[in-house]
Amino acid sequence: MRRGAILQLVLLSAVIGAAVTAVAIFIGWLPEQASKERERIDFVFWFTTAICIAIFALVASVMLYCVWKFRARPDDDSDGAPIHGHTGLEIAWTAVPTILVTGIAIVSTVALAQNERPTGDPLRVEVTARQFAWSFKYPEHGDLTTTILRLPVDRSVELRIRALDVIHSFFVPEFGQKQDALTSGETKLIITPTKVGQYPIICSELCGLGHAFMRSRVEVLPPSAFAAWVAEQRRALGGSPEQAGKAVFTENGCGGCHTFEPAGTKAEVGPSLDELSAQARGADQPLEEFVRESIVEPDAYVEQGFSKELMPETYDQLPDEQLDALVQYLVRGSEGGR
Amino acid sequence: MTTTVEHEHDLHAGPVRRPPSGWGYLRAPGWIRATWMTALFGLLGAALVVGIRALGGWDPLWDWRPLVTVGVLTTAPLGFLAGLGAFDYWVRWAIGSPTEPEDHSSHGAYSWRDYFRVNTDHKVIGIQYVATTIVFFLAGGMLAMLVRAELARPGTQFFDSQTYNGLFSVHASLMIFLFVIPAFAGLANYVIPLMIGAPDMAFPRLNALSYWLLPIAGLMMLGSFFVPGGAFGAGWTGYAPLSVVGSDGNIFFNMGVQWAGASSIMTALNFLVTIITMRAPGMTFWRMPLLVWANFTTSLLVVIATPFIAGSQFFVLFDRLMHTNFFVGDGGYDLGYQHIFWFYSHPAVYIMMLPGFGIASEVISVMARKPIFGYRLMALSLMAILVLGFSVWAHHMFVSGMASWLRVPMMVTTLLIAIPTGIKVFSWLATLWEGKLNFSTPMLWALGFVSMFVIGGLSGIYLGAVPIDIHVSDTYFVVAHIHYVLLGGSLFTIFAGIYYWFPKMTGRQYNERLGKIHFWLTFVGFNLTFFPMHLIGVQGMPRRVADYSPQFGDWNLFISISSFGLGASFIIFVYNMIVSWSRGPAAEGNPWRSMTLEWQVSSPPPVFNFDEIPQVVGNPYEYGVPGARHAVLNGERAAVVSPERATDVEVRA
Repeated sequence: MRRGAILQLVLLSAVIGAAVTAVAIFIGWLPEQASKERERIDFVFWFTTAICIAIFALVASVMLYCVWKFRARPDDDSDGAPIHGHTGLEIAWTAVPTILVTGIAIVSTVALAQNERPTGDPLRVEVTARQFAWSFKYPEHGDLTTTILRLPVDRSVELRIRALDVIHSFFVPEFGQKQDALTSGETKLIITPTKVGQYPIICSELCGLGHAFMRSRVEVLPPSAFAAWVAEQRRALGGSPEQAGKAVFTENGCGGCHTFEPAGTKAEVGPSLDELSAQARGADQPLEEFVRESIVEPDAYVEQGFSKELMPETYDQLPDEQLDALVQYLVRGSEGGR
Repeated sequence: MTTTVEHEHDLHAGPVRRPPSGWGYLRAPGWIRATWMTALFGLLGAALVVGIRALGGWDPLWDWRPLVTVGVLTTAPLGFLAGLGAFDYWVRWAIGSPTEPEDHSSHGAYSWRDYFRVNTDHKVIGIQYVATTIVFFLAGGMLAMLVRAELARPGTQFFDSQTYNGLFSVHASLMIFLFVIPAFAGLANYVIPLMIGAPDMAFPRLNALSYWLLPIAGLMMLGSFFVPGGAFGAGWTGYAPLSVVGSDGNIFFNMGVQWAGASSIMTALNFLVTIITMRAPGMTFWRMPLLVWANFTTSLLVVIATPFIAGSQFFVLFDRLMHTNFFVGDGGYDLGYQHIFWFYSHPAVYIMMLPGFGIASEVISVMARKPIFGYRLMALSLMAILVLGFSVWAHHMFVSGMASWLRVPMMVTTLLIAIPTGIKVFSWLATLWEGKLNFSTPMLWALGFVSMFVIGGLSGIYLGAVPIDIHVSDTYFVVAHIHYVLLGGSLFTIFAGIYYWFPKMTGRQYNERLGKIHFWLTFVGFNLTFFPMHLIGVQGMPRRVADYSPQFGDWNLFISISSFGLGASFIIFVYNMIVSWSRGPAAEGNPWRSMTLEWQVSSPPPVFNFDEIPQVVGNPYEYGVPGARHAVLNGERAAVVSPERATDVEVRA
């Protein structure tokens, strides 16, 4: 009877283990893998999964076996066998899990240590989070500032992250890396993209009313394309005011919300920038002063028909020259439109 | 002072109360006095604030934030409690007027009205707790249904962001602070004095007070929906700085937690003193049923940890109202909040789980007709979880930006907790082995709990491993995990307990068929709702969002539909409870043929539980051992008295 029971148990747990393994393998659990760090995370994930499948199969088979075999007949009022314990078994199920979790801890620690270390000379990017937008600054490239993160493939990047109002969290599922942005100091995150493509940046720490909409994207480019993009931006910033302003306008996603004819954008989330002169008169301010204030402190004057706290306040992070270029570009463009 | 106590009435038939007349109606403790005293104390609090502001010449004179915090959220509830009579005895004693002779008129329930009074009978309080927490459970469940309705499609459909953030924040707060924690406290309140052979809790008046704090806390949290600016929307975790700068509903959370926390601490103290000092003769620690062990460890967790969340919420409140700088502004440290908060709230996870372990042990042993496997290791693993539980709080903060090295030791302690937890699961399985399993409703819930808790425990291993946690934290994977441990874990054991002790508490038997239908609907609905959340979480859907990427649309629709089925299953439960309590067949004293003490008295038990204190002579789970006894009652001399412990204890005649 005893040998029979063990054989049946082994068979049952093999069947359950196979079924759960199928669920693990045939459902696409993990999102696309696009960073070196994700490769290590995925290894820990599957290592843990293998252990968990074994434990689950064991527990589920014993449970089902008991339910199936030890069911009391309706008229059976007798008691079960008075077994109080079994020292050997109790030692076993203390010791074996200890070994398993130690294994998981070691694998995790190694992966964590590797994921905290950049390979080679990392590209540094300063990330600023604010309700409800991201801003990225490249100190190695003349403080170029954008709202879309562009990264070269196969080079480690060191993000230095901070928040200006409440806590946010930088998360790209395809990179597997996540880091909160604090108001009390800088945090750090290493990412080594391995695949060219576009991936979502998600704020994953509840940060207020616009939390769900605090998204951006990261574009991983071939090194040459990244270099070309940087060179083009720097040339534009160093070039004519027109070029510089337009570059800042584009890189900071202004066209995502505003209509502005010189840039060819047509969005209507925020007020039309073609009407800036009229709006400045409404605010009773000189045009240039009005434009500057509206960028760095958007809620100081809000055009009728638009609500407060809609425009992110992140743009006060723009370096002075880029801010100046943007203001000049907007002033000239809207005056030209008159 | 000597007072003659005259027992003119038969205690078991109910006390004679002289009906008040005239002004007496206003002065007698009860709902009328509670009404005017609530108003009076609220006005006094408000007058205090306005008076001080007027004297100080502060502008504006009527600042509603301090006004509400002091008047509505502090003094008015005190007036309510005083009006209801929670402080009468202590106030009389404190001001030196003669205390009322203890006529037991506030003890026991003789009509439904007695459940709406300050009652000092632990059995009445237990039922008050359970009934109240079920009301808040249903309220919290309705909020969850609204959340799922919004999430059925991407984009925003029904609620604006403020309302949505309020919905999930209040949902979680009610479920945690007004359902799981106090529901366990309620069941234990009813059962533990009976189980250890005591006539009541050690401090009956404190027990009554701790119950009445609870509805106050619940109403504050629900009431925050009516605050201008909306309910608190920073999640039940209330992370600063968002909870400081967010809507003023956060004040209601800060203060609601104080009332619920005070209730929790008082009850835990009561349990500790009761369990340590009031065990029946012969009931050594190693003869206590595991439910008593579980509540002993839980109460230790509560008294040590709860003051931390009270502090953290006061700090948030002070930052908002008094412009202190605990967490915001110059010198404010936002991570400090998370450390203090989780130093309570991780142990709180075990506060919400250990009593469930206790219930599962009781039910499984009785229904399998077998001694619990490895009783001592079961008790010791509770203690191990208690100790380890205080060393793992920062595993909630692996991506928070705290000192990076701290993640490794926190991961190790977190994974170590899997060992005592595993011991418990394996021991329950071994208890089933070669048993005679009776699949009554409580047993179904207990076995459902073990199965679901294993899944929740395994996803906890993923979350404990730092690299995986970095990927899945703050996603739906975490939402799935906590619902597997708190719904599949805590809720299932609460239902196991309610069904198991229903005959004892009400003296009536519930409808077994409806109980089983309830279990299977909940079990299936639960898995369909929460299992897919693991998947969308790993794929990167963040939690606490009303809008999400369209790629998750289909799964969310599926989850929402399943969740409505899950929600509907509780209608059967409520129907079964109400109908069975009013019209169910009379229950026997011991329908489950259990050995523990609460089943050795009538259902429901006499007002003071035992006609005389029982004599404990053996272990509580000796099923299948010929001639074994746990206790002897009613003067019958023990045929078998365990020689080493109990012989020198006099059985009181």
